[in-house]
Amino acid sequence: MSETATPPPGTPDLPALTRESEEANFFHEAALNATWTGVRLAVGALSFAFGCFVFAYFYLRSLNSHGMWHPAGVKGPQPWAGAVIMALVVVSALVQYVGLTRIKASKKGAWQASAVLALVLGLAAIGLQVWELLNLHFFPGSSGFSSVFVGATPVFVIVVLAAMIWLETLIMRVRVIPAISFVEQPPTYAEAFAVQRFQASLSAFTVLWNYLAVVAIVFWVLFYLTA
Amino acid sequence: MAIDMQPESDRQPGREPGGREPDAPPPPARPWWRRPAVHTALAGAVIGYLLGHLLGNVIAGQYSQVVNSGQNDYAIVLGYVLGTLGWLAGLGVFSDLLRQMTGRPVHATEEARDASAGLARYFRYSLDHKVVGLQYLVGMIGFFLTGGLLAMAIRTELLSPSYHVFSSATYTAIVGEHGTMMMMMMSSLILGPLGNYLLPLMIGSKRMAFPRIEALSFWLTPAAYIVLLSGLMFGGFPFGWTGYAPLSVQATQGADAYAVAFGIMGISLILLGFNIIVTVICYRAPGMHWGRLPIFVWAMLTTSFLMVLAAPVLVGAMYMLITDRTVQTAFFTDDLGGSSYLWENLFWFFGHPEVYILALPGFGVVSEILPVFCRKPLFGYKVAAAGMVGVTLLSFFVWQHHLFDSGINPDMRPVFMLTTELISIPTGFIFLVAMGTFWKAKIRFTVPMLFALGFYFNFLIGGISGVYLSDVPADTTEHGTFFVMAHFHYTIMGGLIFAFMAGLYYWLPKMMGIRLNQTLGKIHFWTMFVFFNATFLPLFAVGMAGQPRRVYTYARSLETLNDWVSISSFLLGVSILIFVFNFVYSTVIARVHEEGNPWNSRGLEWQVSSPPPPGNFARVPVVLSGPYEYGVKDAPPVADLDPPLGVISNAYAAAAAEGAEV
Repeated sequence: MSETATPPPGTPDLPALTRESEEANFFHEAALNATWTGVRLAVGALSFAFGCFVFAYFYLRSLNSHGMWHPAGVKGPQPWAGAVIMALVVVSALVQYVGLTRIKASKKGAWQASAVLALVLGLAAIGLQVWELLNLHFFPGSSGFSSVFVGATPVFVIVVLAAMIWLETLIMRVRVIPAISFVEQPPTYAEAFAVQRFQASLSAFTVLWNYLAVVAIVFWVLFYLTA
Repeated sequence: MAIDMQPESDRQPGREPGGREPDAPPPPARPWWRRPAVHTALAGAVIGYLLGHLLGNVIAGQYSQVVNSGQNDYAIVLGYVLGTLGWLAGLGVFSDLLRQMTGRPVHATEEARDASAGLARYFRYSLDHKVVGLQYLVGMIGFFLTGGLLAMAIRTELLSPSYHVFSSATYTAIVGEHGTMMMMMMSSLILGPLGNYLLPLMIGSKRMAFPRIEALSFWLTPAAYIVLLSGLMFGGFPFGWTGYAPLSVQATQGADAYAVAFGIMGISLILLGFNIIVTVICYRAPGMHWGRLPIFVWAMLTTSFLMVLAAPVLVGAMYMLITDRTVQTAFFTDDLGGSSYLWENLFWFFGHPEVYILALPGFGVVSEILPVFCRKPLFGYKVAAAGMVGVTLLSFFVWQHHLFDSGINPDMRPVFMLTTELISIPTGFIFLVAMGTFWKAKIRFTVPMLFALGFYFNFLIGGISGVYLSDVPADTTEHGTFFVMAHFHYTIMGGLIFAFMAGLYYWLPKMMGIRLNQTLGKIHFWTMFVFFNATFLPLFAVGMAGQPRRVYTYARSLETLNDWVSISSFLLGVSILIFVFNFVYSTVIARVHEEGNPWNSRGLEWQVSSPPPPGNFARVPVVLSGPYEYGVKDAPPVADLDPPLGVISNAYAAAAAEGAEV
């Protein structure tokens, strides 16, 4: 603990180091980078998962086996429901993104309000999608289209639900971080690290939630607009 | 926001917002039976299964397809899914998430979370990468032995074409269980145990990036194992490990076990690969730049990309199969607008990268071992790494060769024949690297080296027969015969299992501080090598003569060859028993402690004591040179394990200076 050193060149705001703090910072930086990398990798994996259904959609549509891709007599999902679900997710992502810009400007309260609103909108989208699946006007296996719709939408719901759980944990985490910590340097490492970890996690969540908004638009186009 | 780096002594004690005071007494320990572990997980699994089954009966008990068929796939699938969730809940997987959701602080470290020591920690949801590595090791050996026993059953049946031990249905079920069990297990065989245990040590880190995800990836595997085996209670499944539709849609409830188990394993693979990639990218010690990364880490990294990108397609395909079997979608039913070819495309889009998920870690292990026992640098290090990257990229463009004989558009055949043949080029790089390393080397024929040499011999046969099979005319002739079966057993068992054994004999002194008996190890190698080849080499001839796979009878003229193969396979089983005996004998009965660096390796993992101390390194090491500079004059030491204060901070200084603002 007694051993200290001057900071490395190029880091004028790091006045003194101890072995413990140096290593703590090393792993803290690694953790922040891991959050950044992890969410982008998760987006890649999710793209392949959703890509399965997009592939199935176009594959079965182009094959149109026995003329049963989307026969004229078979009803599709309700267009208004699809539009509302997509709108709820997109608006939720926008609201959350605006909140992110506010917390960057040190407005913790503004982000909290927008995050709660984004959470409510996201949960509403989930609720509406579940309601729609429980009130289908067609049998799941009545056509290729209906199969892809009934298969893909629950996966989207599950991923959105996971994202909403993440958002809820962020809302709970930020409650215990003093607003002043977003304005000026917290007094201890532990607090400073906690704030930075929260910020990294929020940034990662935003990437995921914006990505899911894009997926919502793609699914809306595929299942409601061009079916 | 930059962090003020004032010494802790001059500041207020650190406490995370909402967390405990640093000097607060720890919460009282609960009695062992109330702490989450395997026993609570089993209770959770049973409760979850019963609940899911009940729910399935309530929801779908009166559905016409259930009433008419007498089987309720809803109840089975819901039972499996809720049983798996109950298993995880019983282990305490969700407790930190629930704490976060309710605004309570989580236990940041394994020490804070559960102070269990000794054997107890191996039965818990541990966040220590070394514990998870050993959990994986025992788990995967369990998978392997189960799959091996099923293989013995197959060969017992094939002793005679006319006298049958099993019915044809039972035989097909055994073949399906064997294939699926082995493919599920092999995917994690090296990355699970060796990857989780060794990766942080090899890159100079004290931990993996996401310890909870790491532990979760392991604890999903026992659930997959139990679900898959439970399929036998429903008569198994009649379609092998490939699950081709429409048979898999029409089969009885054993198919539910197949789909759910493979899906769970797919999720485990995604999590495993995800964690490894992030760890390699973000947690390398200062100085461990890409050009110094051990070749085994390159193999793990490239394999992990395959896992993260290909396994979601497997999970998606299994999910579609489940919805076809339960909620009556028609993904794979041609008459209703689906297509059985959709399954083949999705399955093999995962299935062929899967082949390289199996092969690449093996390449990594043997390439890591060669320079140690040749006592010279790895020849063409960059070529080897490039070969692995090349294999990874190309493996996404070959899957249609599995459909050559299944009605693929003939115009597409040359394209996929070409891509398949192309992939032999980067694979050849890795062989060339080995040949260059062997050149004029003074080889030490230790047990790990013997297994590595066995790997190259076997994989060469498997690889060349693969190039042969990638030709459309050859594939059309040999498709569905024992020739194909011999080919992939040469690559997987002859390749991956030999590499796994090489890695195990090499790194077990590191992992357990105990060296396996070398005499028994040599007996193990020679019996395994001889009887492996005696088992699978004749199967090329059997396949050329036209014996089909997954059929329990065959032409009388092939009986002698089949008897030879069966007897050899039993002796191969005996060689595995020698390994099991050696493992138990060396780790339990006659423990020979090996705390140093028995192979005189330059690997970073060998620069610390064995088994490694908590936290792996006393300080973050600074890597000074590559790991393969054997025999190089004036080669610097591989790392400074006690670097001066201030050196490590250079690694993150730039990022810190820029600030960590969102």
